[in-house]
Amino acid sequence: MIATLQNGRHGPLALGALLLVAWPLVFSTPYDLRVFTLAGIYALLVLGYQFVFGHAGALALTQGAFFGLGAYVTGILGARYGQGFLVTFPLSIALPVLLAAVVAAPVLRLETHYFALATLGIAQVLLLVCLLAEPLTGGANGIPGVPGVEILGLSLPRGWPLLLFVWAWVIAGAFVAQRITGGLYGKAFQLMRASATAAQCVGIDIARLRLRTFLFSAAYAGAAGALFVHTLRVVSPEALEFHVMVAVLAMTVVGGRTRIAGAIVGAVLLVHLPEWFRFLESYYLIAYGVALLAMIVLAPDGLVGELERRWPQAPETLPTAEPLPPRSKLIPREPLLAVSDLRKRFGGVRAVDGVSLALKRGEIVGLIGPNGSGKTTLINVITGLLQAENGAVRFAGEPLGGLRPDTIARRGLARTFQNLDLVDELTAIDNVAVARAAFEGAGLRQALLAVGRDPTLERARRQARFLLERIGLGEEMGRPCGDLPHGTRRRVEIARALALQPSLLLLDEPAAGLSESEQADLARRVEILRDDGITMLIVEHNMPFLMPLADRLICLNVGRVIANGTPEEVQADPRVIEAYLGRRGEQA
Amino acid sequence: MLQVLVNSLALGSAYALLALGFVLILNAVNAVNFAQGDLVMAGGFVAVAFGMLLPVPGIVLLPLVLVVMALIGRALAAVAYFPLKSRPPVSVFISTIAVGIILQNLANALFGAEPRAAPPLFAGGLVELGGIVVSRQALAIIAVAAVMIAAQYVLFQRTALGRRLRATAQDREMAEALGIRVNHVIAATFAIAAAYAGAAGLLLANTFFVTPTDGGNYILKAYIAVVIGGWGSVPGAVVGALLIALFEVMLPSLPLIVPGLAGLPGASWLFSQTIATILLYLMLLVVLVVRPQGLFGEAVQRRA
Amino acid sequence: MRRFIALAVGFLTLAPVSVVAADASIPVLVPITGFLSLEGTSQRNGALLAIKNAPAGVRVTYDVSDTGVAPETAVNALERAISRGPVTAVVASMLGTQMLAMLPVAQENKVPLVTVSGTASITERNNPYVFRFFPGDAVVKAAHIRYAAEELRARRAALIYQTTAYGQSGRQHLQENAHKAGIEIVFEESIEVAVRDMSPVLGKAKAANPDVLLLHLHAPSTALVIRQAAAMNLRLPIVSGSAMHQPPTAALLEPAELAGVCAETNASPVSGGTPEADRFLEQYRREFNAEPDGFALGQYDGVMMVLEAVAKGASNAAAVTQALSTGSHKGVAMTYRSDGKGNMAHSAVIVCYDGQTRVPRIAKRYDEILAVTR
Repeated sequence: MIATLQNGRHGPLALGALLLVAWPLVFSTPYDLRVFTLAGIYALLVLGYQFVFGHAGALALTQGAFFGLGAYVTGILGARYGQGFLVTFPLSIALPVLLAAVVAAPVLRLETHYFALATLGIAQVLLLVCLLAEPLTGGANGIPGVPGVEILGLSLPRGWPLLLFVWAWVIAGAFVAQRITGGLYGKAFQLMRASATAAQCVGIDIARLRLRTFLFSAAYAGAAGALFVHTLRVVSPEALEFHVMVAVLAMTVVGGRTRIAGAIVGAVLLVHLPEWFRFLESYYLIAYGVALLAMIVLAPDGLVGELERRWPQAPETLPTAEPLPPRSKLIPREPLLAVSDLRKRFGGVRAVDGVSLALKRGEIVGLIGPNGSGKTTLINVITGLLQAENGAVRFAGEPLGGLRPDTIARRGLARTFQNLDLVDELTAIDNVAVARAAFEGAGLRQALLAVGRDPTLERARRQARFLLERIGLGEEMGRPCGDLPHGTRRRVEIARALALQPSLLLLDEPAAGLSESEQADLARRVEILRDDGITMLIVEHNMPFLMPLADRLICLNVGRVIANGTPEEVQADPRVIEAYLGRRGEQA
Repeated sequence: MLQVLVNSLALGSAYALLALGFVLILNAVNAVNFAQGDLVMAGGFVAVAFGMLLPVPGIVLLPLVLVVMALIGRALAAVAYFPLKSRPPVSVFISTIAVGIILQNLANALFGAEPRAAPPLFAGGLVELGGIVVSRQALAIIAVAAVMIAAQYVLFQRTALGRRLRATAQDREMAEALGIRVNHVIAATFAIAAAYAGAAGLLLANTFFVTPTDGGNYILKAYIAVVIGGWGSVPGAVVGALLIALFEVMLPSLPLIVPGLAGLPGASWLFSQTIATILLYLMLLVVLVVRPQGLFGEAVQRRA
Repeated sequence: MRRFIALAVGFLTLAPVSVVAADASIPVLVPITGFLSLEGTSQRNGALLAIKNAPAGVRVTYDVSDTGVAPETAVNALERAISRGPVTAVVASMLGTQMLAMLPVAQENKVPLVTVSGTASITERNNPYVFRFFPGDAVVKAAHIRYAAEELRARRAALIYQTTAYGQSGRQHLQENAHKAGIEIVFEESIEVAVRDMSPVLGKAKAANPDVLLLHLHAPSTALVIRQAAAMNLRLPIVSGSAMHQPPTAALLEPAELAGVCAETNASPVSGGTPEADRFLEQYRREFNAEPDGFALGQYDGVMMVLEAVAKGASNAAAVTQALSTGSHKGVAMTYRSDGKGNMAHSAVIVCYDGQTRVPRIAKRYDEILAVTR
């Protein structure tokens, strides 16, 4: 905090923290303290929800259920079995995490609204089971007489002690969340949210990352549930009902989905809002709904996001460049890439229909063909994004069949995308740095144990600067990618692929949308990369760009290789001309 | 036995109207309208209000309810969809939750919390059909819902408006390029969806009453129906809704159909409506995991 | 609502004319939103009417706050009320889980809670600050079963109850009393509030061949069961929980559908009877443009007992608590006195519908029912 005050970049943040501390000092009746304590509990719940909803971008509707489960564990163990906080609290965290781990396998791979409904279903089942299991849960009546926080015979009274205890957990939770999401590991979350495909293709295991966010959410929810019961001294099915989930969702959206300050602002504001509107009596929930709607519509990025937009932060100073550490060379086996009899169909359409090809080390091969001839599908199969029905891909002699995209990427097979797949909010430096996550050992333990700023992030950014300079970027690398021109973004994407230190680079239409001078510049840099020993497969329509670069051209048509040879041979091949002309003829 | 079937069919056809509205908005804007259940509740109360003013049968009130609900749907689009149309779909999910909160509490403030009944569609009472006694209202619900579902089909397949609605649902950019005023079409979709929800509200509010807190239950039914039927599939949503109602009514009735079951230990527990609800959710999870495209295939290509 | 504030203001301006003997502060913390807002609104209306009719010289300040459905909302409302200065007594929510959450806070602050919540366990927690002016489940469920056993000569009962706190705690008392009265429960099932089609549960109940149908459900489910039972031509006497006696429930049903239906309650204000009850009914209709139920009357009597204690010199919460736990009060519905645990109401009535009107008649009155059975 002192550090942030000194460098002055986080003025609003410091002011907010000051307000937060002042709040309970000014409004300090037992009622105010209770509401502020509840706000702390919800802040913890929202901090947890930000992992899965904010960072992983998955609309999970289980957060209320995990909260209720944590509440019931503390309620049952505390009231029925007289257990103290040191027993109940860890178990209140452990059980929701366990439930999350069990349900994760089937539901985490579902997409958006399916995932939302599946998680909602799980929450509803938990509620109904709790209502039916009367002997254990007290049914709809719940369990009264839950003790307060008791640690080693000391019991914590309500009012200030409980408030400070709860907010101490909020601060601890915020600290852990900051460690996990603020470093290189956190950048990986951002890329995963922006584009799961791109994240996989820079070597990030997104399934594992998603699972972790889900488990973190459950852990925070369980802790919040336990503290909730200690505050209320009663546990009842209302804690499991959907309105808790709605409240958390609203707080997260109103505060900000990924910002720690957002969790606290959202919780403090929305816990107090209905209290402030109480004077409206039976109309106060209408006012609450209107205020909620207004905040969602007027500040869709959350109040903290809105503040950040109004007071943009000064750009960070660029790191110094640092070359990447040498990567252990692959055993030189030829060919580097061998594709044999690959087939992939979508419904009735044979997108790739028996393609075989080979790439020698150090070659630049152009892959051409009319639209819809299967070029991108072929690349997607090679990089593991799609599974082929038949055939094999061998990379440096090793079969790639069945491997995940992130595993393939880590082996040194990198790619770029036809439609740029960058994180607009991140700077060019960070977009490249994130691709070092798999190599710089950015992991959970490392993120938690780091002192001060995450050293792996610092190193990855120095390396990113090195890569970006090599591809010709200057000061603009410190700007968010969304603000950069198209040609520059193309180069950022190539730099990101280079961060994997690939042996083979697949470029999907790299010259598309570039000016002639940019194309010339790109061609020069591609040649430098070849001189550095990187083999390349370039999908391109732009023949003037490709012809002088490529050692060889391969032409696809309706999923088959129709020509393979030197650029001149292929260009003169009647089948190639027919494929392109025939296509043109159809269009005319 | 057949009486039970007619009841579940009546419930299912009302759910079908609700799910139909849900899926229309889903297709048009690729977002979940979480206020759809509260629109059913609102339709019920609108019917109750008209019923207090005009002592006429429900079928006469139906056009009035449709018009009022279409206006409410248009307003819903204005406050909860258009300001957020360039945001990710989850924003609309949440803004419609807020609208649901407003609708629910507005109904509570205006009408009070007591359950209300809307007028019956034609007349109440029972009618004998080939030896079995069924309620007139249940038959009327099935008939009206069937007519409305058919009307939706005709509107979408046979009219210029329908072509524009379908074009917008399939590919918004393409529709825009073709000169369709997409915003008008989306507003019309919200109006139609709300009107259908309102019709469901009118149909349900006689036999099953209406209270301000009903919405939450209905939205879950619609959501599940659309997933079971195949995300974005209009006929799938209708079939899904019927299946849900059938399951809800049939599972607890099993001991009546198969008398041997009643004697099993724990039968009263196993064939209770609560267990039926739990099983419905578990089935849903199984459908999602085993066949994520729904039972009838997925109509909308979700954007990656 | 504005009307009541105006009335209260009018009352306050009149008060100085009479001799001001005492001030009382009575926050009204009841659910006026959410699924129990029908009952909560009755509570509020009953309390406000009592405040309006406060004994001469007692000046009352009050403030209505919603408790919604969640326990924490109720506790927040209670803490808020207490934070705003000394409180004489609190009109507290119907909802059992909310009462359970408010009890420790009331005890810490030594404030009496005056409620009509029927949930049994709220008076079983050795908390001297709870006062229940509606007969608890132990009383009304005894009446419920005794009427079925003694008047209807029932031996085989089918029981349908709700999966809520109200339903589950009532079911326990119904079972115990049925066992004592020699009634066999041949069928039982709990249903959620969301269940709309009752034909499966009614079909199964019928198949068990009972001679009475016992209901313990909230108002919407009660009305649905009775309507669908009539449609199925079930031809069984029905004895329902107190939700049936509420006029809005009866308003949902045709008088013919109500034939043969009875319900337990503390009192049925719409049925009239004594001059006091008629006066209450007339004034309630005038003030609120609505029909009162037993909850409103119970809450009216409870607040009136508080106000009379204040008039007699109980100037703070402790004195009111003392007066409530030791005194007795002849209210409109019955005479109230504590059993030592805060149960103030010991009488229940069974009301029945004749199939002609929606106004029930009192079929049987059970006074001191627990003393009789013991």
